[in-house]
Amino acid sequence: MSPRVAVVGAGMSRFVRRAQETGKELSWIATREALASCELKLDDVDAVCLTSAPDAFDGVHRKGDYLADGAGAWAKPYMRTYVGGGSGVFTAIQGWYTVASGLADVVVCVAEEKMSSCQPHPQGAFLTIFDNILERPLGPNLLWIFALEMQRYMQAYGLDKRDIAQVAVKNKRNAAEHPAALLGQADITVEDVLGSETLAWPVQRLDVSPISDGAVAIVMASEDAAKRLTDRPVWIQGVGWNLDTTYWTNRDLAYPEYVENAARMAYGMAGVNEPRKEIQVAEPYDPFDYKELHHLEGLLLFDRGKAPEAAADGVTARDGDLPCCPSGGLLGVGNPIAAAGLMKIAELFWQLRGEAGARQVPGTPERGVAQAWGDLMQVGTVVVMGNGGGPLATATQSPPFAPRATSLSDQEFRSATGAVEQRLDTRYEWDPGEAIGAVLDGLREQRILATTCISCGRTLVPARKFCERCFRPTDGWTEVPHTGTVETFSICHVTWDMRPLDEPQIPAVIRLDGTSEGGFLHLVGEVAPDDVRAGMQVEAVWKPAGERVGSILDIEYFRPLEPELRRELVAVAAVELPVEIAP
Amino acid sequence: MSPTKIPGELSVSFRYTPGVGNTAFFEGLRDRAVFLGSRCEDCGVTSVPARIFCERCLAELEPSLECGPEGELVSWTLVRVDVDDQPLERPVTYGLVRLDGADTVLLHRLLHTGGEPAIGERVRAVFTSPREGSMLDVEGFAPVADGAGP
Repeated sequence: MSPRVAVVGAGMSRFVRRAQETGKELSWIATREALASCELKLDDVDAVCLTSAPDAFDGVHRKGDYLADGAGAWAKPYMRTYVGGGSGVFTAIQGWYTVASGLADVVVCVAEEKMSSCQPHPQGAFLTIFDNILERPLGPNLLWIFALEMQRYMQAYGLDKRDIAQVAVKNKRNAAEHPAALLGQADITVEDVLGSETLAWPVQRLDVSPISDGAVAIVMASEDAAKRLTDRPVWIQGVGWNLDTTYWTNRDLAYPEYVENAARMAYGMAGVNEPRKEIQVAEPYDPFDYKELHHLEGLLLFDRGKAPEAAADGVTARDGDLPCCPSGGLLGVGNPIAAAGLMKIAELFWQLRGEAGARQVPGTPERGVAQAWGDLMQVGTVVVMGNGGGPLATATQSPPFAPRATSLSDQEFRSATGAVEQRLDTRYEWDPGEAIGAVLDGLREQRILATTCISCGRTLVPARKFCERCFRPTDGWTEVPHTGTVETFSICHVTWDMRPLDEPQIPAVIRLDGTSEGGFLHLVGEVAPDDVRAGMQVEAVWKPAGERVGSILDIEYFRPLEPELRRELVAVAAVELPVEIAP
Repeated sequence: MSPTKIPGELSVSFRYTPGVGNTAFFEGLRDRAVFLGSRCEDCGVTSVPARIFCERCLAELEPSLECGPEGELVSWTLVRVDVDDQPLERPVTYGLVRLDGADTVLLHRLLHTGGEPAIGERVRAVFTSPREGSMLDVEGFAPVADGAGP
């Protein structure tokens, strides 16, 4: 059995749209509050763990040491970990193993995100998650990947958008009682969410948590230190993390296998055999409303496709049988990415000590689970925490302070003394590599090439030289048909920097006939957006021979196989926009 | 053959506002032509530019202690090439200056005209006018022996 590790303190900045404070200053606010909450000084801390999501948000390619001073890392063992959006929960796992290994008795874990510096929109940094050769030429918008997953989830289980939208309502209402929240709204209704601007159908403006700035810190301690520091430690009972394939178009987007794998690891360590009976409060990752439901199913707290119904019945409300995101989550408190993940750990700490004030869930919760999600939408990070049945406080409210951090108005942001504008002037030349190089040669000749693995029996699109499951070379090349099925699609109305499109784009994951799973990302054209359906048969429309250069754009788009569904092409073109600093 | 190199870029730029500590520092430069630092009495360390917290003990600090404008040259370098390794038309001298009253050093240009800088020598900030609230409100540091001054 692993040595016991507890959370003994927590603190956070206010989450704001555009912080006056630097990332260092936000980190300091959170770290100082966390230490103060358990009456520790920095000298008492043996090691510091830090996380922050993509470097390109800050344009600082060394965010670990950049944030070191604010995190209290001066002259201490210190390391930044990073698993994209899963980072915030992962840093608590990093803290856990730093203490459980015996390397440290007391560690501080800090998660910071300042997304507001990135212009014209932080999506520019996020776009790097799309494959350089096969996806970025299509001009993707980050929202595509979520819209495609949400649509697949809805389609697989016949879900109603209304049932999903109520998650946004619940979380924004919950956050109305969180002192650090950016997006709390006590009177929001499902109609508000369903009536908000459509960004990339089915994703509407209020289905998604916006960019935010903020920081969170927790203090973790060994069993001896924890008992010395507090009479109400909250124990880390289990940790788990897991990564699914990097070929996101090969995954079944209807279900987060990686979350289930991570949850099983954490539950196993925690000795939780029946999570639905043994977990009393959950903080699943909710940057989108559907993600809370998706993740609750991956966490094995509801059957597949059944979380929306449970949410509609009030089961996940703060006073329901299984309160989910009583903090208000990312949808309500805000979404400074890494910080938002660690906020969930802090919330469980406060809930399991009975310190959550107006947010406190009823009864005497003994165990909770927090989870985050990230990288290429493929990592699950899970932490199970429990109070061992200790007494709950009732008087305290945490975060027990008026959280610091000041939001700048647009005018203040544009006119701030000493402000500096910089462009990360980096250019790349990407090598397609052997497999994709051959695929590009094939596209130029109007052929779609795949590789096969006889060990697992898969025909692999996109093609690769080795099978990532069997970890052996693939067995040869095969040409696949130019026809296939729309697995999932979105109707996208905005560019990557959130400017409206004149005509919507229809990105889709297309599974080519004769391939075993998933497929690849492309655009659908010659069809009215309202006529597109999951399961629709489509065929590739090629550029003429003289115009094909060996690019994913040699396929202009896919169109319905059924001639009756076709209409005149309006627009499918990729929309890479030049970057300008906003005036 | 299909292309062997696919061009790409990271489509982002940044607007950095200076935060609480550096805002006080830049306002000091702009409005009063002074360098503001922060002192942590517990740690006995004065940092320039000003900060709102001590990185050694995390105590809250006031970004209000005036340092300089004279100081000691701690190190210097003569730069002859640009970031792309191309020769500069005019080489530039950069120095690390510990302002009087400060424990930390500041990176800036040196304005020496005759002869090499000397480690340990006294230098003094030369301010521009008008000033906008920027590191470039300081033109650089000149030797005190040159008589540079207000």
